[in-house]
Amino acid sequence: MTDLAQSLIDALALGGLYALIAVGIALTYTVMGMMNFAQGEFIMLPAYALFVLAGLPFAVAVSAALATGIAIAVLAERVAFRPVRNADLAAQLVTSLAVATILQSVVSATVDVRSQSVATPVLLSESSQIGALSIPNLEILTLALTVIVLGGLGWLLYRTRVGLEMRAAAENFEMARLLGVRADRVIMVAFAISGALAAIAGVLIVMQTGQVSPTMGLTPVLVGFIAVVIGGFGRILGAVIGGLVLGVLSSLLGTYLPDGLVPFRDAIVFSLPVAILIVRPQGLLGAATGEARI
Amino acid sequence: MTGRGLRSPASAVVSSVVPLLLVALATAVGASGTPSLEGTVTLMLCNLIIVLGLQVFIGNSGVYSFGQLGFAAVGGYLAALLTISAAFTALQAPDLPKLIADAQLDPLPSTLIAAAASGLLAAVVGLPLMRTSTLAIPISTFAFLIVVYNVLANWDPVTGGSSGLVSIPRTTDVTSAGFWAGAAIVVALAFKWSASGYRLQATREDEVAARSIGIGLMRERLLAFTISGTLCGVGGALAVHQSGVLSPTTFYFAASVTTVTMLVVGGARSVLGAVVGTLAVATINELLRNVEEGASVLGLFSIGETPGLAAIGLGLILLMTMIALPEGLSRGREAGELGPIRRRLRPRAPSASRPAADQPGSRPAHESAGGLRAEGVSLAFSGLHVLREVELELPPGEALGLIGPNGAGKTTLVNVLSGFQDPDSGSVFLDELDVTTWSPARLVRAGLGRTFQAGLPFAGLTVMESVAVGAMGVGVGRRRAVKIAADVLERLGLSGQAQSPAGLQPPGNQRLLGIARALATGPRYLLLDEPAAGLDDEECRELVAILRKAIQDFGCAILLIEHDMNVVMDLCSRVQVLDDGETVVVGTPEEVQAHPAVVEAYLGTSYAAGPHA
Repeated sequence: MTDLAQSLIDALALGGLYALIAVGIALTYTVMGMMNFAQGEFIMLPAYALFVLAGLPFAVAVSAALATGIAIAVLAERVAFRPVRNADLAAQLVTSLAVATILQSVVSATVDVRSQSVATPVLLSESSQIGALSIPNLEILTLALTVIVLGGLGWLLYRTRVGLEMRAAAENFEMARLLGVRADRVIMVAFAISGALAAIAGVLIVMQTGQVSPTMGLTPVLVGFIAVVIGGFGRILGAVIGGLVLGVLSSLLGTYLPDGLVPFRDAIVFSLPVAILIVRPQGLLGAATGEARI
Repeated sequence: MTGRGLRSPASAVVSSVVPLLLVALATAVGASGTPSLEGTVTLMLCNLIIVLGLQVFIGNSGVYSFGQLGFAAVGGYLAALLTISAAFTALQAPDLPKLIADAQLDPLPSTLIAAAASGLLAAVVGLPLMRTSTLAIPISTFAFLIVVYNVLANWDPVTGGSSGLVSIPRTTDVTSAGFWAGAAIVVALAFKWSASGYRLQATREDEVAARSIGIGLMRERLLAFTISGTLCGVGGALAVHQSGVLSPTTFYFAASVTTVTMLVVGGARSVLGAVVGTLAVATINELLRNVEEGASVLGLFSIGETPGLAAIGLGLILLMTMIALPEGLSRGREAGELGPIRRRLRPRAPSASRPAADQPGSRPAHESAGGLRAEGVSLAFSGLHVLREVELELPPGEALGLIGPNGAGKTTLVNVLSGFQDPDSGSVFLDELDVTTWSPARLVRAGLGRTFQAGLPFAGLTVMESVAVGAMGVGVGRRRAVKIAADVLERLGLSGQAQSPAGLQPPGNQRLLGIARALATGPRYLLLDEPAAGLDDEECRELVAILRKAIQDFGCAILLIEHDMNVVMDLCSRVQVLDDGETVVVGTPEEVQAHPAVVEAYLGTSYAAGPHA
């Protein structure tokens, strides 16, 4: 019983992390219709900010990481994504791939290709005793952050003017524009939030693994994309659910899979979206589309 | 083929010969250079085969797949294991099935087996993957690549695990790689110019319009995906026999990005683009790599070792290409279609005296007495009733006008009739057959064609191609489809534009093109959604004449949604008025115009004036 509860908390913490990553991807997708592969680098660069600023107080380093995430996301939008805003989906996707490659290689060239270790605060590597359970503080932090950040995002989207504008742009970009929504600003805000979410995920990942590497964003971004696909494109809530499903499944499979199959966990987890999409091609929450233009 | 073909013979020859010459040139350079240069060129040619594999799927479907490298990986591993000697295999992959482990095949059979296996895997994997939506395919194929990597890296007793395989016979030389690359070019061009290739290109241009001419999206994508997987398998097999070593990362993320970059830089839509892009990116990559290893520029500056420089360069090239030249260096054109060459190779103008070719479609005009009929069709969108108990009857050979104010439900009714929308209740009958739940593709094969208010042209195809693909959509072979298209274009007066891009036609021609595309499917019933919208009076008169001729020549019945009352009154023997989802009246144009409810419904609108003939 204790074991089960323990694994469930582990699973939820991983699911929360995946949800944060997936929401960052879904946000820019809904507003701009762009699948952004560089989101992984929006996770990686803040993690390197922690590495570079390792000597400074932790709070300062984390703030810098957050600022890095926001800055790089806004910059990438301005320099690379805005010129291809009206290009087709594939062109945008390839553009984001180019941005990802450049950012990754710049870090490889300036820091190192190999991974570097980062010291994490002692407090986060300890566990807290709650009843019969011993829960790592990092998991508590991850769960708390997930709830706070996603709650805050919900408030922003549904209770503020810019949130309303973002939802309007997500529904019908051209119409929203005609009604006075400032497209450039809304997209910039979406990227800024997306960068902040990625930075938070990046910090949590570093705290968990204790190291940074130029390619550390790859797995998270793929997981995030698959979560978005599972949840249904264009649905923020779908991304949250998709992320939770993937994280919980991945974590539980790691615990309960027979020893011989554990190495193939990723193969099983990544086959899941295909299975779901066969049954529901539009994803769990996605609406059937495609008839609107007739 | 006459000048009325999909392209002139000269253009086809130039389009095939130029990429082949480029490959021959590269092969010659490799063969005459140092061993190191030969190795580089050989590996580039193997990459080219993979990029051509990507072109077959991505270029023709317009859908990005990041999973094709998974097929190169499977082909590479299989070819390696089939050729490594039994003793070495036992060391590296002890649990491999004996049949493969003991085999020590020659390069050619191992490559062919690898190709067949990759193709088979692509067909099996593609079956579920192609079911996912256009948006999801890039991601679900990526998931497939991760699955392949994960299995290869962890199935140690069979694949050698993360350390990979060594002692693979190095049998691929620059000549054999060049030969295979040439063969891959031929395959890619043959597919692009096949009926199936054109059907897939039509789905790339517009999925909805492609469905309206009977094209099955999944089927066409799956075929291209399979051919693509086969080519990638060949490329993978040849590449491992060049390098002699193989690991799970050989054909993983980095290789996926590199090959996609090559395709996009060259221009995904053309085979020439795949070749040019591969040559350009490989050359730049090689130069950057030399700099990366520490080189001196002209003996003046010495640059230290800078890892990652090549990748930064690649990323920047890709980024700049997407921003400045989104269609790639080739602009998505084949060699025979490039500006200056195109003007010289333009097919002769068709002679008007040429006897009419095959009639579109094979069916006699008045085959049955059935007609198209809707019975009690109702439909509501989130509680809003769009159609209520609508009845409609279109006998063979008749022209029925469907009029009513905006929002009356006219287009929705056409969507229901043509299978794009299922009604909540009620039935649709085609020649007494209940076709209510049929797909648009099945209906168009049964003789029900339609056009769209928005036109939905296949902008990237030529006028000739976009009409011929209408016939190909319902299963007509390529040659006959071309004859049908030439005939339809001539009757509609579009022959002069046959070789120009469909997307660049003026609005009037766009309308006619939509009608031509639908006529090429050989419809017995044609549903026209506002064909005269946006046309001036002169163009309207021409349209009426053309439609009247079409009714006579092609013998098909027409359901005409139109706001221009002159067009409706000129063409239609009966008119049905729809308002708020309900039929107000059906009758001859005179009866309808005299009907009090119609007069009332249209009072204050442009119809109040009646026909100003």
